[in-house]
Amino acid sequence: MPAILEAHDLAKRYRLGATTVDALRGVSLSVDEGEFVALMGPSGSGKSTLLQLLGGLDRPTAGEVILQGETISRLGDDAATKLRRDRTGFVFQSFNLIPLFDVTENVALPFTIAGVETSKGEIAERIRDVIALVDLAGKEHHRPDQLSAGEQQRVAIARALVTRPALLFADEPTGNLDYTTGTEILEALWRSCVERHQTIVLVTHDSKAAAYADRVLVISDGRIRDEIALGRRADHDTAPLVGRLAGLGL
Amino acid sequence: MGGLISLALRSLAARRGRTILSIVGIALGIGVLYASLETDAGISSSIDRTVHDLVGRADLRVEAFGERRLTADSLSAIEAAPGVVIAAPGLERRTYLAPAANDPNAAPAPVTALGIDPAREPAVRDLTLAAGQSLPATDAAAALLTQTLAAALGTNVGGTVTLQGSAGPVDLSVVGILAGDGPIVGSGGRTVIVPLQTLQRVFEDPTVSRVDIVTGEGATPAEVAAALGVALTTQPYVLSSPADLAASLRSSTADFRAMTALIAAVALFVGAFLIFNTLSMTVAERVRELGLLRAAGATRRQLVWFVLAQAIALGIAGAVVGIAVGFVLGELMAAEVRSIGSIPFDRVDPTIASIIAVVAVGLGVTIAASLEPARRAGSIPPVEALRERLDPASARRARLRWLVAVFVAVGVAGLLVWPRDAGTAGLVRSAVIYVVLFLAILVAPLVLGALGRIAGLPFRLVLRLEERLARASIVRDRSRTTLTVGALAIGLAMVVAVGAVAHQSRLAASAWLSEVIPGDELLTSIRPVALDEAAIGQLQAVDGVKRISPIAVFEVARNGVRFDAAAVRGADLLDDGRLRIVAGDRGAALMALDAGGSVVIPQVLADRTGLGVGSTMTLAVGNGQVIDLRVVGVAARTIFGKAGEAVLLGWNDATTIFGVAGADVLAVRYAPGRQIDTQPTLERTARELALEPNPIDRIAGAVDDALGRVFGLFDALALVAVIVAALGIVNTLTVSVLERVRELGVLRAAGMTTRQVRRTVVVEAGILGIVGAVLGIVTGLVAAALLIVLAGAGPLIPDPPWASIAIAAILGIGISMAAAWYPARLASRLAIVAAVQHE
Repeated sequence: MPAILEAHDLAKRYRLGATTVDALRGVSLSVDEGEFVALMGPSGSGKSTLLQLLGGLDRPTAGEVILQGETISRLGDDAATKLRRDRTGFVFQSFNLIPLFDVTENVALPFTIAGVETSKGEIAERIRDVIALVDLAGKEHHRPDQLSAGEQQRVAIARALVTRPALLFADEPTGNLDYTTGTEILEALWRSCVERHQTIVLVTHDSKAAAYADRVLVISDGRIRDEIALGRRADHDTAPLVGRLAGLGL
Repeated sequence: MGGLISLALRSLAARRGRTILSIVGIALGIGVLYASLETDAGISSSIDRTVHDLVGRADLRVEAFGERRLTADSLSAIEAAPGVVIAAPGLERRTYLAPAANDPNAAPAPVTALGIDPAREPAVRDLTLAAGQSLPATDAAAALLTQTLAAALGTNVGGTVTLQGSAGPVDLSVVGILAGDGPIVGSGGRTVIVPLQTLQRVFEDPTVSRVDIVTGEGATPAEVAAALGVALTTQPYVLSSPADLAASLRSSTADFRAMTALIAAVALFVGAFLIFNTLSMTVAERVRELGLLRAAGATRRQLVWFVLAQAIALGIAGAVVGIAVGFVLGELMAAEVRSIGSIPFDRVDPTIASIIAVVAVGLGVTIAASLEPARRAGSIPPVEALRERLDPASARRARLRWLVAVFVAVGVAGLLVWPRDAGTAGLVRSAVIYVVLFLAILVAPLVLGALGRIAGLPFRLVLRLEERLARASIVRDRSRTTLTVGALAIGLAMVVAVGAVAHQSRLAASAWLSEVIPGDELLTSIRPVALDEAAIGQLQAVDGVKRISPIAVFEVARNGVRFDAAAVRGADLLDDGRLRIVAGDRGAALMALDAGGSVVIPQVLADRTGLGVGSTMTLAVGNGQVIDLRVVGVAARTIFGKAGEAVLLGWNDATTIFGVAGADVLAVRYAPGRQIDTQPTLERTARELALEPNPIDRIAGAVDDALGRVFGLFDALALVAVIVAALGIVNTLTVSVLERVRELGVLRAAGMTTRQVRRTVVVEAGILGIVGAVLGIVTGLVAAALLIVLAGAGPLIPDPPWASIAIAAILGIGISMAAAWYPARLASRLAIVAAVQHE
């Protein structure tokens, strides 16, 4: 399987007043096409920073990120914006839907931003498909305040998937949700990976969420401490992962 | 408590931009208020000075009524009336100074000659000498000049002026110079004062124009007035007191003062919006923090003080800056008011009392604006610390209540500082307009959605997504948008209302000129030109002149009420196609004027008195006698006199019954196509005859200019309110951006460019601007219509003030979009990472 995403020696240093904080200290990794990778680690480990660099939301202090053969870590704002729009999708902990837009409009947002007609043709078809994928068929015209938290996050996932991005980045997507709703979200992500061959990079501190991944990268203190290959498993059993993490003292 | 207040002040310091905007907003409101109060005080003190200069220590003034002046018999009767201690007569004549010997071709310079009794005058009025000495007590060829006139002539004590008398030029030696403009209002300071006997001799006129009376200690002015009624039976006269004069001067400036006060109130009201929005935002942003304070044991009262302390700090800072702004605005207004000749104006130095009053009003309004946010802060329960936002519905209800509170607070503040002597009519009009503006704000939330959709249309065509997002943001917090749009709308409404009233006045003036004046040019004379004088024949003989129509304006009285009358030649008006007769037969009516015994009355008089065609109009002619004249026609508009439209009479009646000596205006109609080549000859001839030529277009231009000055001032003040509203837009958009930080971050992550983000904010401002402009224009037109109707300024002319409407639209949309510059920049610069960070 060819690598879709590579990172070489990524470093990120923040200045906080007089002090500097090294959030990442030389991280290298690669993600294969269709793979589901989880970045795990305790709070402050640098996992979210890593995801932001991989997704082109921020620039590294050193090192490079290569997406589909293109070095994205040195792109200017406009080029990075275009890349995000065309090749990546993001799901955040807060659902961040536009309150006045209904489900269809929120899902169609990336196309609307790009100035693409969304009401007919193949695009409309895609929007319907992705709404069905996240199990929201029949609620197309509901507004965010008429949806449950889990449904809102599924709208956010549909919005991230609708452009058929090469990579989907999810940053603690279940962090604001209860156990059952969180499971719904993870199932939706899993389905997209299995049924659509979607590549996913998931940031989480929750071993239950990480257990959905094919491979888990454990981040600690700005470095990759360990790599746990779980393989594709339909049962999402957490036992093997928890065992390895316990071995690492996490 | 101290710790919380310190936290409150630190909170203001932390949001420096917003704090500065609020201070500038309230400062502009206070500045306009201060400047308008200072201007008002200047006008008021000028009126007092004028009254003092005019009547001095006199308790009563008797003036001749109509064309005939008071005779020596009348003067004796006044002197003999019981209770009269001093009766100081005065004779006023308009005349010319003969050209100096070294410049015999110079045009004659008009002056007012005032004859006084040098023995009695000092008992009534102080004539302050700047140089030289007082007039001799008897007939002598001596004169006092005002400083203004002496400077204009380059003459000083010991010099000579030559007065044009009825029998020819008379040389007078200048014995003294009076300080300033002298005692006659309306002469522009061009006054020559001579002994009464001298002036009577020079003009071969034994009468006097007025007698100033000082009453004895035992007699009240009312008793003396009654005694005069018995003593003076042979001549009609007008009796006035200093209070009457002051009241009449004050009423002539009442509209101006009422309008400035209204605009000041509006500016303050708009400033209050800004304060309210700022403090509301502080409370909304700090809900969690305030909830935590409550959880940690802070009392409700402490949280209320948290907000009130901020309000007081903003109010004090706003007042200090506002007074400074007011000084500058006051100076600018003073310069402008001085250039409006019809409004007397003295400079006044600011008093501590007036500064304290303005600071108190500013602080009061600021605190009133903060009461609601303060109450809301106090009502935050500790559990709200865990929630992000207040319930929008309850917030909306609360704000509506607040709006009423601030509306009333500003209204009460307005009443407290309202110019007490400006009359109640202006107060009523201003109150009505104030309520209309308030209603417009109440209507705003109801029409916001629909208007917003319509306003978005032009943007939707090219910027679909931006328009959709912008509109979503606008309805997100409807009450905040309402307040923002409302503030802009009332600022723009004032601009439109002022423009519409000015436009209406211009239309009325130009319609009047073209409908009433039977000529292309008016020649004015400072002395009556008798119809049989050679002058009229000479002018008529100029090649290219079709007709010379003499017009005289004088006073008549009916049932004890005086009003204006004008002598005209009916045949001239008929031939020239002037006057729109709305009742009666036009030809017959105008010919009947020349035949005599008939009048044509203006529509406004017909409406007021119920007189119509065929009615009899009974006018007083003196000696207790009256004359009946038949109303033969009603004209839509007639010639303007001193106080209003005049009743038209034929020349025969005017000269034989009312003693009109001659025309004061000659209307010149040129033969078709001959104006350009004839005008120079005619104007030269007119000047040789001591007539002042005024082409109609110059008169129209002068009217336009005068209206432009008055209304330009109002416009400038209204513009301040618009600027304050613009600051509100900056504030609202900034908060709207800050509230949507995460949403904007997601949009950026989803591929929205920085340009698109910027455009979204600018489109939001554009929609706010359009909605504000539409609302402001409609409200302004309604307010203008009410102002015109309530002022009784005649029927509404259905011709919209397109220029003002366009200015309001451009101003509203332009200022809003300009106000979006900073928030748009802020939005586009938000780092996506920060925007989408975890809680």
